[in-house]
Amino acid sequence: MQKIVQYELAAGIFLVQVGSSPLFLLAKPAGRDAWMSVLLALLAGLLLLAAVTLPIYRREPDSSLAELLLAYLGKWLGGAVTAAYMVYFAYQSVRNVREFGDWMLMYLLPTTPLGFVALVMMAVSAFAVYKGPEVFFRVALLIAPGVTLMYGLLYGPIFFSDLFRPEELQPALEHGLRPVVMAALPTVVSFPFGEMVLFLMFLKYGGRSSLTSRTTLLTFLFAGLLIVAANVLLIGVLGPLADTSVIPLLQSAGLFKMVERLDPIVLLLLFVGVFMKQTAYYLAAVLCMAQLTGAKAHYFIVPVGALIYLGALGFRSYMQQVSVGFKYNLVYHFPIFEVAVPIVLLAVMLLRSPKASAMGE
Amino acid sequence: MRGLGIRLPFLKRRDHSGRRNGGGGNGGGRGPGGPSLSRQLQANLNAIRRELGDSSDLTIRLIRDDSGRVLAAVVYIDGIVIFDTINQMLLSPIMERVHELSSGRSSLSAADMRALLEAGTIQLGRVRETYDLSHLIEELLTGSTIILSDGSSVAFAAATRGGEKRSVDEPSSQTVARGPKEGFTEDVQTNISLIRRRIKSPLIRVENRLLGKHTKTVTSVVYMKGIAREEVVEEIRRRLSRIEVDSILESGYVEEFIQDEVWTPFPTIQNSERPDAIAAGILEGQVAIVVDGSPFVLLAPVTFVKFFQSSEDYYQRFDIATFLRVIRMVSFFISMLLPSLYIAITTFHQEMLPTPLLISLAAQREGVPFPALIEAMLMEVTFEVLREAGVRMPRIIGPAISIVGALVLGQAAVQAGLVSAAMIIVVSFTAIANFVIPALNMAIAARLIRFAMMLLAATLGLFGIMSGVMILLIHLVSLKSFGVPYMTPLAPLKISNLKDVLVRAPWWLMKTRPSVISTEDRVRQAPGLKPGPPKDRGERGS
Repeated sequence: MQKIVQYELAAGIFLVQVGSSPLFLLAKPAGRDAWMSVLLALLAGLLLLAAVTLPIYRREPDSSLAELLLAYLGKWLGGAVTAAYMVYFAYQSVRNVREFGDWMLMYLLPTTPLGFVALVMMAVSAFAVYKGPEVFFRVALLIAPGVTLMYGLLYGPIFFSDLFRPEELQPALEHGLRPVVMAALPTVVSFPFGEMVLFLMFLKYGGRSSLTSRTTLLTFLFAGLLIVAANVLLIGVLGPLADTSVIPLLQSAGLFKMVERLDPIVLLLLFVGVFMKQTAYYLAAVLCMAQLTGAKAHYFIVPVGALIYLGALGFRSYMQQVSVGFKYNLVYHFPIFEVAVPIVLLAVMLLRSPKASAMGE
Repeated sequence: MRGLGIRLPFLKRRDHSGRRNGGGGNGGGRGPGGPSLSRQLQANLNAIRRELGDSSDLTIRLIRDDSGRVLAAVVYIDGIVIFDTINQMLLSPIMERVHELSSGRSSLSAADMRALLEAGTIQLGRVRETYDLSHLIEELLTGSTIILSDGSSVAFAAATRGGEKRSVDEPSSQTVARGPKEGFTEDVQTNISLIRRRIKSPLIRVENRLLGKHTKTVTSVVYMKGIAREEVVEEIRRRLSRIEVDSILESGYVEEFIQDEVWTPFPTIQNSERPDAIAAGILEGQVAIVVDGSPFVLLAPVTFVKFFQSSEDYYQRFDIATFLRVIRMVSFFISMLLPSLYIAITTFHQEMLPTPLLISLAAQREGVPFPALIEAMLMEVTFEVLREAGVRMPRIIGPAISIVGALVLGQAAVQAGLVSAAMIIVVSFTAIANFVIPALNMAIAARLIRFAMMLLAATLGLFGIMSGVMILLIHLVSLKSFGVPYMTPLAPLKISNLKDVLVRAPWWLMKTRPSVISTEDRVRQAPGLKPGPPKDRGERGS
């Protein structure tokens, strides 16, 4: 049995939650109050995590999401929902692969075909998935300190230099609270703060430790605050420009003249963030299939990988991918998997065994 | 074969059944039973001669009584025994006693012979009885002297192993500026004595076995009871007993048979020529495997970071040692990644270079007809060839090769416009950085990976390098060495073990042994050993 210890779990949650989010401006419609939207979304995500996701785990610490769905919703309904989750996880992976491939083409490899970049990404991910959750979380542990350090190196100097102009953040709440709330819900909650439902697939490897819930919450909070800080910084540096830039952090780093050429660091962060996220979702999709069919996970690596690969190439352009994501997925589709189904599942669990202790015995 | 243990009672009796059960793992050519010895001395001698094909180094010394009748024979193979010992300790006392005993009798029975040996006539560390021919031959071939007597079907094998061997010398690899200058030799007994001389503890355990059907190589497992994990020792025993080959000539053979993962460039077993390094490993709970005929002693289990520790780190001040370790780690990455980074940046990401440097590089590369990958490959292969030539060539030709290598291939290649000067710098620096890694097997791994990285860099630029590093990380994290994850204490994280990874903490801070390798008994020193001047006394002379 694979086993994940607390440090590894924390590193994994941190990297997947942070992903590539600090590089981008979230909650664009809120304008210069975007960071408040992000903070609000963080609080909403925290509530969701503490009230829904973690209670599900605490009641059944030995089962993954797929196993719970099958156990509580029955063979047919549960199977259908599990299959839907498989598609959701795979689709999340698709978005990451495609996004990353497009950035690579934009910034590093303008003449390389997208299919080739995506293929290499998928191959590296497949290798990690083949090795299983234990290895994946250990790799996260190896990388996490480096990523934290690099964010520090990027943000620290920019924050203390004259590039950062706090006046760009004012006046706060110019148009009242409404746009802030509108921008936060449901878009920013679904991405990135609602994605913790993914970890219901992995928490069972934590081995019933009483610390798991605390680790998850604290890491989530830490990662969330990093994203909020990144948003404050991007608005403070780029001002109105932040809205139009593809990778705002890259732009900020470009403005920074004290140390030249920070873009390799930014792109490295991008690579690590996207890779961890894409692999985590890929792994979750493979585990879903394995637990649904009862077969070994290894059989599904290639089929699920091929599905993700073809899906990533299916978007006609980067713009289509972004617009589908922000206009439809974040508003209509993702909340189903991140909020609705977990709440229903928790309700069913409470109804079926109201007296079952939190220890899950 | 446990029979060759160095701490055995004076006379160890063995009967047939014991021989049958105890002979496992020696890969002996014949079944353990073999034909029994005859009561006829002449028949036995003929059988030995036949078995060894009348080799000229087989020496048979016949012992006769006054009447000229052959009573006993002393058999050994010239060159692998200590001749003086045989003369003084065996031949002369036996002859004296034989004459005394046999003056009134017609023959010398086994009981007589045994009495004779037990009475202290033969003053040797170990004498063993043998009953069958194959066992006798085995003893003979490992340097024992066989004593046969007429009318008895029991032979006595006396340990007289010896012969020419190299004296303890300074190790040629893993040299240090400060630290002991002794190195292991090719002789297993000498090597074990070097370890024992450093750890004078009754907890040291030595387990011998014979490996190789033809070579009968003594392989010793050395560990500390109560500090090494019992399951690791058991696993090593199990893997060693699986080995069934005709020959073991060097510890590398054993390493390849018992390592965890085949498809990896990274070594999962450590080796060292330095007794102090091996002793330190044993004291931390690692298990040493000493193979006769090789000065390289194996240590397992091992973690990735161990390959960047030199025994000198523990003899120098801790701050200097820490600095040296950082340098080694950086060198490891340089030797793996520098050429590929150069290729990636000059081919795909020129905008990352400061403009003056870019112009200078472009000017250098102007006349070069090849793409950066070909250029780099050309120089890398050239360097690898030079390096291999440097190892193989006779020492006298050394200077000639240096001139050809440095001047002709370096200077002239640039002047001829085949490669750019920057590429020469990159390749040379990479090569030098590779020599910084203390463990040769880890350095070779970096060399191999370098070529793969160069190909990735040439096709996908920085993205290719990142993918390659990611695959490397996934691979490293999934490796195990005898149950110990290879990347401990980094992943899985063991905070208490981080004192001896990149930072070498001062000795008084390293209170415990590494928890992943050793058992629960981990306390290494008394608390509160931090040195300092006495606090209550004032300054002298004030």
